[in-house]
Amino acid sequence: MLRDVVDMAYHKVVETISLEKREELSDKLIGAILVSKNEDKMPAELANTILYSWQRGLLAGGTGLAALLEAAVLLEPDRTMEILEVELQLTSTAKTVREVLLKAKK
Amino acid sequence: MIWVVIRVVRFGIEFVPREAYWKTIYYAIQAEKRGFNYLWITDHFNNRNVYVTLTAAAIYTNKITLGPGVTNPYLVNPVITAQAIASLNEAAPGRVVLGVGAGDKTTLDCAGVEMRNPLAAVQECIEIFRRMTSGESVVFEGEVFRIAGAKFFFKPKGKIPVYVGAQGPKMLAMAGRVGDGVLINACHPKDISYAVDCVKRGVSEAGKELTDVDVAAYTSFSVHENLKKATKAAVPVVSFIVAGSPSVVLERHGIDLKAAEEIREALKASQWGQAFGLVSPEMIEAFSVCGTPEMCIERITQLLKSGISQFVAGSPIGPNVREAINLIGEKIIPHFKP
Repeated sequence: MLRDVVDMAYHKVVETISLEKREELSDKLIGAILVSKNEDKMPAELANTILYSWQRGLLAGGTGLAALLEAAVLLEPDRTMEILEVELQLTSTAKTVREVLLKAKK
Repeated sequence: MIWVVIRVVRFGIEFVPREAYWKTIYYAIQAEKRGFNYLWITDHFNNRNVYVTLTAAAIYTNKITLGPGVTNPYLVNPVITAQAIASLNEAAPGRVVLGVGAGDKTTLDCAGVEMRNPLAAVQECIEIFRRMTSGESVVFEGEVFRIAGAKFFFKPKGKIPVYVGAQGPKMLAMAGRVGDGVLINACHPKDISYAVDCVKRGVSEAGKELTDVDVAAYTSFSVHENLKKATKAAVPVVSFIVAGSPSVVLERHGIDLKAAEEIREALKASQWGQAFGLVSPEMIEAFSVCGTPEMCIERITQLLKSGISQFVAGSPIGPNVREAINLIGEKIIPHFKP
């Protein structure tokens, strides 16, 4: 049940990102995920969604980016926030991600 | 004037399924998008399973040719190899190849399996594989294998090419004689020239032409715009190659046998830092294709002149695999395409 809530929440996070920043964000997130040592934290269904989107060139699309964001937060939370806040200056997106995390903890 | 015939080069990439499946499959999709023609997955029992990895790769890709690079007839009986490959060929029709060799002695030792009569074992495996995948009911009595009547309950589709992983002169000649391709574990033009001569012997014994066989240099590869970074990534792999190379190969490259022995001992004792520190520039030169994209292009060109038709970028590929695949796709592969 929690998985569905988080999925939907990340779809809403994606809506806060402007179209022109999505490609760059997708690129940075996948880069962070691939070098992560926390690969055990990746749920298989999320990984499969990412691979499905990647095969079809849709990683910067709604579902692809939502899956990437969710995976990046699970595997590399600090790096994800750095990408959002410092590198892409997506401060409102970062704030929304924090709220999602807080809600998930509750 | 000396004419050098350069064959059309195909690009392959090798992944060791050591990491989570989704990383390997991500790279496989990326390799296909970046213009690679072949995807080779290594087969060692201590990594993720080769056929599970290949099946996932088959599902998430559309055109890249894929297969084990390489399996062996000792840990997996040839009838099971035939079953796995024929099944894989249903998921990716016409895109599947078998890579088979004698195997890695260290890994076989760990599993308590003796590498008995490797030349016969590989050749018999190929014959059993071909007969099984052509739908035959196989009765076979060889030096290594005895099959008392094996047939699939399903109809295998199409002829599946067989690539032989080879290093020694007899295995190379056999690969030329019976293989559709040969995967040569070598990086240096000197070693490739020697190997291609051996393959040619087998090819002519079988009344074929060298162009009938896809000759692949299966290399330890590392590319980065920064030479130091590319080299640093290659060092661990090269240390293992040096440790596993016979004296005759080390001497061919003027490598100090004592230094090689010291690396061997350090690796045995798991003293990684010491082993890697002993790797010299000569060793890197002999046992890897490593450097900036321009340097790699130069080496691949030399290898093509030595007679290869496929270049396989193997582990480590680069300090960052994703960036390295992009670099190969952007700068190296286009250089060799008409």
